[in-house]
Amino acid sequence: MSERVLAVTDLQVRFGTKRGVAEVVNGISYDLHSGETLAIVGESGSGKSVGVLALMGLLAQPPAAVSGSINYRGRELVGISPKEWRRVRGKGMAMIFQDPMTSLNPVRTVGYQLIEPMALHLGLAGDVARKRAIGLLELVGIPSPDSRIDDYPHQLSGGMRQRVMIAMGLSCDPDVLIADEATTALDVTTQAQITELVADLQHRLGMAVVWITHDLGVVAGIADRVHVMYGGRFMEQADVDGLYTQPRHPYTEGLLGSLPMPGADRPDRLVSIPGLPPDPVAMPAGCPFAPRCPHSDGSRCVEIIPRVEEVTPGHDAACHYPLGAGL
Amino acid sequence: MTAQLEADRLATKPVSRFRETIRALLANKLAVAGLVVLAVLVIVGIFGEALAPHGLNELDVENRFAGPGADHWFGTDNLGRDTFSRILIAARVSLQVGFIAVGFAVVVGVPIGLAAGYYRGAVESVLMRAMDVLFSFPAILLAIAILAVLGPGIGNAMIAIGLVYTPIFARITRGSVLVVAEEVYIRAARSLGAGDGRIIFRHILPNVMAPIIVQTTLSLAFAILSEAALSYLGLGVQPPNPAWGRMLSDGQDFFQQSAWMGVFPGLAILVTVMAFNFVGDGLRDALDPKQKSVIESRGQSV
Repeated sequence: MSERVLAVTDLQVRFGTKRGVAEVVNGISYDLHSGETLAIVGESGSGKSVGVLALMGLLAQPPAAVSGSINYRGRELVGISPKEWRRVRGKGMAMIFQDPMTSLNPVRTVGYQLIEPMALHLGLAGDVARKRAIGLLELVGIPSPDSRIDDYPHQLSGGMRQRVMIAMGLSCDPDVLIADEATTALDVTTQAQITELVADLQHRLGMAVVWITHDLGVVAGIADRVHVMYGGRFMEQADVDGLYTQPRHPYTEGLLGSLPMPGADRPDRLVSIPGLPPDPVAMPAGCPFAPRCPHSDGSRCVEIIPRVEEVTPGHDAACHYPLGAGL
Repeated sequence: MTAQLEADRLATKPVSRFRETIRALLANKLAVAGLVVLAVLVIVGIFGEALAPHGLNELDVENRFAGPGADHWFGTDNLGRDTFSRILIAARVSLQVGFIAVGFAVVVGVPIGLAAGYYRGAVESVLMRAMDVLFSFPAILLAIAILAVLGPGIGNAMIAIGLVYTPIFARITRGSVLVVAEEVYIRAARSLGAGDGRIIFRHILPNVMAPIIVQTTLSLAFAILSEAALSYLGLGVQPPNPAWGRMLSDGQDFFQQSAWMGVFPGLAILVTVMAFNFVGDGLRDALDPKQKSVIESRGQSV
C-alpha cells in the first residue's frame, strides 16, 4: 500500500452558540494514503465541510473547539500555532472551494493569486514563478495560459475559474487536495470535466484527494472509498462498489433510493427520507439517524450510539442492525 | 480564422478596474469640470506667488475698497491690498491643509478600521469606541477644542482637522472590511498559507479601496471648509499670511463699505469645495455602479 499521509482520529468540533454547545463533528476517524481518493458524502449540515475546515486549521477558535488528532506525515496538527499552520496550508494540504465565482479575489489577476502561494512556501518570484504558474494553468487545461495569466477572475467562466482554483491548490505540490463541493456550483457538463481533471491530475501527481460532496452520483466514478456522514458521524464506510451495490446502513440506502437511476427497474417516484437532520445543539442520545430511520427499534437505537463496526471485510457501518447482516 | 481568434483574445484582454473607472469618470461632465477646476487650483497653489499680479502685502492706499476693475480684478481690501493676488496666494495653504489633514485621517483611520473589522472582538470594541468618542463631538467644535489645547496656528489646525476626520475613515473601512473578510476568496487565501498581514493588506485592502477613495475626495472638500472656518475664527492661519477664511472674516467687517472684499474669498471657497464634491460624486458613481443606480431609482420614485 502507498504511504499514509494523513491519519484523523476521533476528530471532534464543537461550537459555542447562544443556544448552547453545537456538536457539529462527533468523533470521525479515517486514514488517507497518497494516490487515494476518499469521498465524504452527506447532506447539508452533516458536518462534512466543518470537518475539513478543521483539517485545514481554518476554523476560528473560539467559537470553534477542535479536539482529537490530525496526524499529517507523523506530525500532530491539533493545537499547533497559527504560524505552524500557515506552513502546512497550501504546502502540505490545499483546498478547493464550492463556488468558483466567489473564491478568487476580484481585484487580483490570476497570475498574482497563483504566484502568491509559491512565494510563500517555495520562495519563488519573478520569471521562475511566472513560468511555473503558466505551466500550472496549462496542466489544468486552460487554453492560451500565457495570456490568461494576466486576466482578472471576472474575465473567466465558472469552469475556468475552478480550474484556476485547482491550479492554485496544486501550486506547491500538496500531499492532500481537499475538494469541498468543488463541482456543486457548476453545470453538469463542467462538473464532469472538473472531476475528470482532478482524477487525472491525481494519477499524474500522486496526491491524495478528499472529495466532499452531497452528491453520491459525483463520487461514484472517482472515489476509492466512500464515507457517509450524518449528524457529525460516519454512518458507513466502504469502497465504492460495496457501498453502491450493498449499502449496510439504512441512511445510505435512503440516499441511494433518492437517486434517479437510468434504466433501472424501479418505480418512477424517487424515495425521499422523511424528516430533517438532527439539531447539532440537541443531538439525539442514540443513533443520530434513529428519528428518521424506518428500521429503528425505538429502544436501543434511540438510547445507545452505535459504533462504527465491520460488517463485511472493508465495509463498516455504525448501525445496531446493519442491512443484509442477517439480524 | 486565426485572425478572428486573435481579435477575440484582444477583445477580452485584461481591462483593469483602474482604466474602467477613469473612463466612467471622464464620461461624467460635472466630474470633468471638477477635475479641471482642481487642476487649475493645484497650479495656482504651486505657482500662486508668481502668477499674482500684485504682491501679497503690496498696499495701494489710494485705491482702498476698490471694486473689481482692470488693475484690481477682484478689488482691494481695507488696506488697499489686491484681493485677486491674495486669493491666488492663499490657495496654497488651503490645499495644503486639506491634503495634509485628510492624509493624516486616512493614514490613521484606515488601519484602525482594517484592524477592527478583521480581528473583531476586543480589538474592535476598544478601537471603535475610541472612534465613537471622537465622532460624537460636532466636527468644528472638536477642532476648536483641540486648537484651544494645542494653541492656534496652521500646523495645529491640520492636526485638529485630521483628528476630526479620522473616525469617518475608520468607520467606512471597518464596514467594508466586515463584508470582504467573510468572502470565500479570503478563506481561500488563508487555505493557501497567507498570514494575517498579507490577507489584510494584499487581499482585503484593495477590495475596500473604492469607498475610501471616494471619502478621501469628499473629505478634502470638508477639510478645506473646516480650515476656512477655523481661519475665519482666527484659529488657523495667522495674519499677515492670507487665508480664504481669514479674508472672509476681514471682509465681513467692511461689508457695507465694500461687499467685494468678502464675496471673492467666499466664492473661492465655494468653487473649490464644489469641485472636490463633483469629483468625489463622480468617483463614487464610477467605482460603484450599483450605488449609483440605487440613488437614481430613489430620485425617480420621489
